[in-house]
Amino acid sequence: MSAGEGIASARLGNWIEGFEGDAAERGQTRAQWELLRIHWAGKKQGVVRGLLEEIKRIEPEQRRAYGEDVNRFKEHVERRLSAIDAALAAREREAARRAAAVDVTLPGRRPALGSLHPVTLVIAEMEQIFAEMGYSVAEGPEVEDDYHNFEALNFPADHPARDTQDTFFLEDGLLLRTHTSPVQIRTMLARRPPIRVICPGRVFRNDNDLRHSPMFHQVEGLAVAEGITVGHLKGTILAFMRRLFSPETDIRMRPSFFPFTEPSAEVDVTCQNCRGQGCEVCSGTGWMEILGCGMVDPRVLAGCGIDPDVYSGFAFGMGVDRVAMNRYGIPNIRLLFDNDERLLRQVRG
Amino acid sequence: MEFSCQWLAQYVDLPADPQELARRLTAAGLAVEGVSTHGDDTVLDVDVTTNRPDCMNHFGLAREIAVLFDVPLRRPPAAPAEDLERTAEAARVTLDDLEGCPRFTARLVRGVRIGPSPEWLRRRLESIGLRPINNVVDVTNFILWELGQPLHAYDFAKLAGGPGGTIVVRRARAGETLVTLDGVERELDPEILVIADAERPVGLAGVMGGLASEVTAETRDVLIEGAHFDRKAVRTTAKRLGMHTDASHRFERGADPEICGEAVSRAAALIAEVAGGIVPAGVLDVRDTTKTWTRHGRLNLAKLDAFAGVHVDPADAERWLTGLGFGVDRSGGPGENVWGITVPSWRYFDFQPRPEPPHETYPQDLYEEVLRVFGLDRIPAALPGIPGADAPRAENLIRRDRVRRQLAASGYAEAIHFAFLDPARDAAFPSLRPAAQPIRLANPISEQLSVLRRSLVPNLVETARFNQRRGLPAVRTFEIANVFYERAQGGIPDQPEHVGLVCGGRLGNPWEREVELDLFDLKGTVDALADAFGIRLEARPADLPGVLAGNSAELLRVQGGEVVGWFGRVAEQEGYPLYAAELATAALAGGDVSLKVELPSRFPGISADFTFTHALDTPWAEIERAIRELAPPDLVAWKLKDRYRGPGVPEGAVNTTLSFHYNARERSLTQEEVNARQGALNQELERRFGWKG
Ligand SMILES: [Zn+2]
Repeated sequence: MSAGEGIASARLGNWIEGFEGDAAERGQTRAQWELLRIHWAGKKQGVVRGLLEEIKRIEPEQRRAYGEDVNRFKEHVERRLSAIDAALAAREREAARRAAAVDVTLPGRRPALGSLHPVTLVIAEMEQIFAEMGYSVAEGPEVEDDYHNFEALNFPADHPARDTQDTFFLEDGLLLRTHTSPVQIRTMLARRPPIRVICPGRVFRNDNDLRHSPMFHQVEGLAVAEGITVGHLKGTILAFMRRLFSPETDIRMRPSFFPFTEPSAEVDVTCQNCRGQGCEVCSGTGWMEILGCGMVDPRVLAGCGIDPDVYSGFAFGMGVDRVAMNRYGIPNIRLLFDNDERLLRQVRG
Repeated sequence: MEFSCQWLAQYVDLPADPQELARRLTAAGLAVEGVSTHGDDTVLDVDVTTNRPDCMNHFGLAREIAVLFDVPLRRPPAAPAEDLERTAEAARVTLDDLEGCPRFTARLVRGVRIGPSPEWLRRRLESIGLRPINNVVDVTNFILWELGQPLHAYDFAKLAGGPGGTIVVRRARAGETLVTLDGVERELDPEILVIADAERPVGLAGVMGGLASEVTAETRDVLIEGAHFDRKAVRTTAKRLGMHTDASHRFERGADPEICGEAVSRAAALIAEVAGGIVPAGVLDVRDTTKTWTRHGRLNLAKLDAFAGVHVDPADAERWLTGLGFGVDRSGGPGENVWGITVPSWRYFDFQPRPEPPHETYPQDLYEEVLRVFGLDRIPAALPGIPGADAPRAENLIRRDRVRRQLAASGYAEAIHFAFLDPARDAAFPSLRPAAQPIRLANPISEQLSVLRRSLVPNLVETARFNQRRGLPAVRTFEIANVFYERAQGGIPDQPEHVGLVCGGRLGNPWEREVELDLFDLKGTVDALADAFGIRLEARPADLPGVLAGNSAELLRVQGGEVVGWFGRVAEQEGYPLYAAELATAALAGGDVSLKVELPSRFPGISADFTFTHALDTPWAEIERAIRELAPPDLVAWKLKDRYRGPGVPEGAVNTTLSFHYNARERSLTQEEVNARQGALNQELERRFGWKG
């Protein structure tokens, strides 16, 4: 009511008071509210309707004022009824919610999922990276013969280079492969260049202490084609390491010796623990020794029937287990093969 | 291998900073693993790879340093003041085995006075961790670490037949023995090459001398032997006798065959200097005159650049090769970029020639030599431009990926075990090829890791027990790996891939709706796995080793009928029961791989249950077969709903509840139709299998 319309008439005040008294009593439940509405705002017999009809009996000169009072009263009743209706609806919703409520913070029932081994996951990732570079995956037997594991790889019979391999022999002179390189030999014997394969798999060395496991995993790679260069070897390893670790990763190549490659090199990558700053993992050098590589020795190519004057190639090999340990924070290689389910089931892809 | 910087500085000027020296050597393939101080000297610990025996001595390493830092190399003097007496008249050598010993040189020093070495010599040896013994022996050790030639000093008077006597290099005779310098009596055989005097062996060729002819305080005349022994001969002796010495280490890797004469002369000169004595004239030098230790090759500079992926300056390449002792013949003319190369004798064994005449060395050997000095780190990284992909992923790899993913999704944790195990445990569980005997390792770590596995289950069960003992309320692991079966005809064994599973225990809790894992959880996992590959497996009851009688079965491929796996309850129980299964993954190949689905009917279906009592020993497989045979029209699915034994069911019988679902493709079925069809089926099942008391 605006001030310009003067003091509300006593008549209007009485009507409102009457209504509010009733509303206070009957505005508490939905059924009562319905009765309240019919009583005051009913289309046929409601109080407001009655007051409107009463206008005929009012003195003509007072009709205008009376009419205004009735209209204001009508507005008041309608506004208040709808406010009470909204309050009742809110109360009803709250009651319904309460009745149906569950504690949604209770634990959900998770499907009892299993897990894949850290080594499986790391090999899968390496396979994926090399697949994107066009490499396929080749496999071979774990029990091998001397030819594929040593001779074809230019390990001369009775040479000290073989002593470094700590070979497990079978009683009939066969052996457990000491690297996955025999798969490279089998691939080169079976196929013609261009060849791009990686060879993941288990390998075995008779070396059993806290830092070594007699069985571990390698991923080796081989590319043979015309015009393969030392630069290609370097570029491939760099691209792989950056995908596997991070785009900032760098590599360092130190010439070394493997019978099956020349030149051969050990590859260090930026220590992933300290990002090259130096820490105890890398003995303060900022580098981790991770991979051996080189250009396939011409004697190896020739032995597989690939002309070393026409083709060249590179090969590399790395341990998978150390990468898995690094990634999953497993401090000791023996824990990888303990198969403690409490550890295995935490492993995420 | 340790190197003294002061010693190296005798032959080459070193950079002021030993770290700089270490860095450069490492970058050229001679990895320096440590730099330490020894008094006023600096000692480098260098990892010399097996192909570089020429660097296992100070002069050899100095040669590398001279090239890497482009400074001159000083050769140690090797010319003793000589007496009138001629060495060749004082002693004689016969080489009986030219293959084992193609060259033998010696010198005499008469009238030595055995005593401690002078300070400078002692310091040299001590700087690299050697113990000085006496002046003569110290000189031989010094030469070993200076020039790389193993020497041996004999007390000349103690050689039978001498003076003027004859030394023979020959194979030992059966039954001969020799007490070596370390005091051990060695039994010899004709595989072993020895140095002998007129009567008996006096040394193991290339490995160790004999005690009887050792230089002692009384020795006056010393014969210094510097021979070249074949690396295989030395390795055979060392392996047969279980010995490893500084001498054998070098010979096995390939010593310089041409340094012997220089080494004995240098030794004679030094002995005369530190122990007195007179040196007879000339070197006693006997060799296989048909044998040379030179190799030739050609270096094409354009091909070198193409191989490296970078341009190498020919002037650098020539300087480096020359400095390393290679002969470089540029007679092709100044514009010619193919050089004739001669490999120095000390690199002979690292340059195995091509099999075809003229038996040149491979050019890659020379590329390596140039590039390691050039520095691999200077070569720019690039990617090969081979177009397309190599080959699609092989089917067996795709299959393995899927098996792994499905079993992980089925709740199993993947385990990885060693491929070898205890023979008793290997034999404790079924093998899919019971006739194949386990394959033994000749040199296992221990008896517990001595045979190759024929089944994945023994390790999985062991792991399950390990996890049980650690208090896990339930265990579920799988492994996918190959097993090993010997082949009847010998050769590389069969190594088929298997997948093994073990489970047991209580999964979850009341909130999680707990499950007590049993044989049928395991079987269901295996069946679902087979299903994923379109394979149907059938269980045939079988009593198998290691599993509880009446709780095990062989798995047969329905397509083909062969046994491809097994499952059962582990007989030995410790804590809750364990269940194990194994399947050859090859069985998952060649299944019905149609990916087409069957469209569900658009009309509503009707379900019906049927419970009947039958004898406990009626196999479900028979009931299943009967339903399949009798299946009424529009029966689209049916399954076992419940099995009940207890009050109300006679002893020896069981109540089986089946649920059936009918659905017609083109219309709605009526309840009456379904009742009629199901009623007839029920009646028939009842007639065939119903309990007859
Ligand atoms: Zn670090």
